[in-house]
Amino acid sequence: MNDHSQLNARTLPIVFPMILIFGFYVIVNGHVSPGGGFQGGAILASVFIAKYLGNPIKTLNLYKVQNIEKVLLLFLFVLMTGFVTLSIHMILHGSLIFYIILANILIGLKVACGFTIIFYRFVFYESR
Amino acid sequence: MLEIALILLLITSVAAIQTRYLRHAVIYLGLFSLAIAFVYLLYHAPDVAIAEAVIGSTIATILYLVALQKYKIFTIYYRLQDEEIGDSTYLSHSKQDLIKVLEKFCTKQELEAQIIYSKETIEAIKANHQYALIIEEIKGVVRITVHPENYKLDALTAFLENERRFKHAYAILPVEEDLL
Repeated sequence: MNDHSQLNARTLPIVFPMILIFGFYVIVNGHVSPGGGFQGGAILASVFIAKYLGNPIKTLNLYKVQNIEKVLLLFLFVLMTGFVTLSIHMILHGSLIFYIILANILIGLKVACGFTIIFYRFVFYESR
Repeated sequence: MLEIALILLLITSVAAIQTRYLRHAVIYLGLFSLAIAFVYLLYHAPDVAIAEAVIGSTIATILYLVALQKYKIFTIYYRLQDEEIGDSTYLSHSKQDLIKVLEKFCTKQELEAQIIYSKETIEAIKANHQYALIIEEIKGVVRITVHPENYKLDALTAFLENERRFKHAYAILPVEEDLL
């Protein structure tokens, strides 16, 4: 995969936006249709993995991605404890839907970061 | 419909185990993931089906393919003695036999042989380069130094014993792994 083909390099960027839109669709509509944070996050992560197939990037600061993931996890934790103890859904116009969508988006982005870290850690370091 | 999908599951799983090539096994596993995602869908579990299709069929397949790619190049260093450089006898047929045998081994194992002639010392090669094998010939005996993480060592030993054309005396020296 180091000698990537022109075919991959030219066609994959056309597909990226569609995969991104599909991933966000799955995340945002998680409460009414099949899918949710985890599945949509995996779809989002497959964008970065497909990017490696088309155009291998050698330098990606994994620590930055890891920090983003930690911050997202913190927000998720705060949101859920707030839901349980302070009943945030009462503040958000008394509706559960905002809470569910927000939690789904946070979970999705966190899962995307996690899968990206796993993949690139594997690609960069685990060699002979 | 369900029966067809279940039979497809059996076929792909048996094929993934029975095939001789790892690359084919990875593709069969991807097919297996798609089929089992379909089975989940028929059992009214679309959430699990999406997760299985995305993770099993996309991410796991690409991870396996990258892992296979990492182990594909088989680097062989042929270390030349000082007297071998002057008269270029290392290109004669007797010493090329070993290279040919190793290339045959690599083709059989789906590896890509990369042969480098070098006159660095073994310690320098070990310290500075990524290698799978280092070969040198001292007084008619071929000494093969093997990388500690070389997972093809058993296959290589069996292959060299079975190969009739290869009549050199040889010694295989596995390197102890440094425990840092």
